[in-house]
Amino acid sequence: MNKNKATDTNLSRRRFLARSTVAAVGAGALGSALLSPAAWAAKAIGDQASATLLRMARDIYPHDTLEDKYYAQVMTPLAEQAEKDDDLKALLKDGVAALDAQANRLFGKAYLEVTAEADRVTVLKALEDTPFFQKIRGDLMMGIYNNEELWPRFGYGGSSWEKGGYRYRGYEKNDWIKGA
Amino acid sequence: MKTAFDLNDDSLVVIVGSGAGGGTLSHELAKKGIRCVVLEAGKRFERKDIENDEWKMFSKITWLDKRITAGPTALTQTSPNLPTWLVKGVGGATIHWAGVALRFQEHEFKMRSLNGEIAGANVLDWPISYADLAPYYEKAEAKLGVTGTKASGQPYHEPSSHFKVIAEGSRRVGAHCRPAPLAINTTPRDGRPACQVTGFCMQGCRFGAKWSTMESSIPKAEATGNIEVRPDSMVLRIEHDDSGKVTGVLYVDKDGNQHFQKARLVAVAANSIESPRLLLNSASSLFPQGLANSSGQVGKNYMTHTGTGIYGEMPDTVSMYKSPVVPGLVSTWADNDPSRGHVGGYELEILHIGLPFMSAFLKPGGWGRELANSLANYDNMAGFWICGEDMAVESNSVTLHPTEKDQYGLPIPVVYKGNHANDTAMIKHSNEQATAILEAAGATKVNVMDRYPASHNMGTNRMSARPQDGVVNKWGQTHDINNLFISDGSQFTSSAAENPTLTIVALAIRQAEYIADQMQQQMI
Repeated sequence: MNKNKATDTNLSRRRFLARSTVAAVGAGALGSALLSPAAWAAKAIGDQASATLLRMARDIYPHDTLEDKYYAQVMTPLAEQAEKDDDLKALLKDGVAALDAQANRLFGKAYLEVTAEADRVTVLKALEDTPFFQKIRGDLMMGIYNNEELWPRFGYGGSSWEKGGYRYRGYEKNDWIKGA
Repeated sequence: MKTAFDLNDDSLVVIVGSGAGGGTLSHELAKKGIRCVVLEAGKRFERKDIENDEWKMFSKITWLDKRITAGPTALTQTSPNLPTWLVKGVGGATIHWAGVALRFQEHEFKMRSLNGEIAGANVLDWPISYADLAPYYEKAEAKLGVTGTKASGQPYHEPSSHFKVIAEGSRRVGAHCRPAPLAINTTPRDGRPACQVTGFCMQGCRFGAKWSTMESSIPKAEATGNIEVRPDSMVLRIEHDDSGKVTGVLYVDKDGNQHFQKARLVAVAANSIESPRLLLNSASSLFPQGLANSSGQVGKNYMTHTGTGIYGEMPDTVSMYKSPVVPGLVSTWADNDPSRGHVGGYELEILHIGLPFMSAFLKPGGWGRELANSLANYDNMAGFWICGEDMAVESNSVTLHPTEKDQYGLPIPVVYKGNHANDTAMIKHSNEQATAILEAAGATKVNVMDRYPASHNMGTNRMSARPQDGVVNKWGQTHDINNLFISDGSQFTSSAAENPTLTIVALAIRQAEYIADQMQQQMI
């Protein structure tokens, strides 16, 4: 991610848009929300809560060059599930409420209004052992780092056997270490 | 033609488990014309089931039956029900292993006489020496096709980018990095192709270049017509007669039906958690503490390896995933030199994991900008998994949970593991040396990872000269019951600084000769 991978990024974006169109057909009302990342969970838990969760997601695994949609992609299935699953809906709504309560206690404003990342991290720290935080963190870990679409952005190759592995594709290549 | 044996055939050898120990034993006995049934708890995988995907393969092949992680370490929090990282399937952990095929060193068979008594540890010499095992190491290297050995005639893998970075860092601190002897072909050999460097050794080799019992020994054993492998067959208990000789095993198939398979002898090779668990679960009125447990040592002396991971963030691209998983070793501190502040040694093993596993293991449960920044540097990472000798400690153990049962109705295993002071000192020393190498290669940040679920599990049915000190004799035959054998890494008296598989295979080859001889002499 610290390198110029513009081509891969564009490719990923095209793939994302293609996938979103398919998702929109399947996911009904939520589908259109996909293209508006901040409102991804609006139907289930409301605009404010969904925007709060997106901010929280970016604070848990902050990659400034990754677009919101990648974080929203992780949350969308959660929101869809929450529409049918009252326990999950409560976990998300109560979790956001707890986050705001903690932010209010420490900084006198809602989580989304706390401008400094370090301050928001302080708020999150207080909640990191809760099932709510663990659920969001676990889903994000898989959704960001186990996302095939994002692997090129992290410089990870993913499955290689169908390309014949790296035997003839540069496994020995290293042009910076001495003696290489 | 598929061999099928009768449940009432009491002339058979029954082998529990199909990994490095059980798979090898079945092949070696089959070659001698001895008929065996191999009972494997897991399913049978095909080459096409092997994918280059860490989490998919993790859920597909891992032994995920519930276990309790116990002890004073962080693993109880980060992995409360998965103390080990093993495979449930025909081939066992040989599907998952990285192929590192090292012989133990001479002194590692004699840790007790070399270092004397170590307070708080239960160290014992093996009842065999390196010289006893050397001819079998040679046979094992030929069987597995270990690179860089005379026995196989295969060259080492060519250096990957990951290897080059570590080799240069090592040179700069006066250490030496060498190519790893791997049971992964570098030339087409024994019906298996050369390595194509997919970088996914530990997810199963999609090309079959890596030796595994799934790819090699089991199909060869079956081809003799002397072996029947029954997958999806979980052994519940071993039965015995009034004289104490074992008579067969009770197992359950995938439809939940129970069967009793008669046997002339039983060899248990279910890895260091399941093997002692089976002996303990087979307790009877004659053996109230479990089979072969007159010493009280069944399930005790559980060893892993020190097992930390350590990754440096380099100034430029390494792409460590474009490599055999373990391309090289730094063996500079593999000797026994107490002046370092610990006995026993360690191998720094260059090892990569993919981004998905890195995100889970770099800082288990972690989050925030520092972790995210390190993961953003994944393509620049280089590093090690450290294979350090773990001291035998009696309280490190596998026991049965008093109340909780698994899907088979068996008490779940409680796996207790703490670090001996020697382990702690070694971990500190090895982390420092690894850090120095990575920094010498240019690392701007070095991340130390705590031990993750153990793939190397040893010692819970250990070999001993005297029956009161261990569970099996120098042939892996239990001291208490002469037709009951242990054929896996649970036999190990010490854990050594090397990956266990080659030693498990060498012991199985040697044990097969002994079993054949004893059967011929009507001793069993």
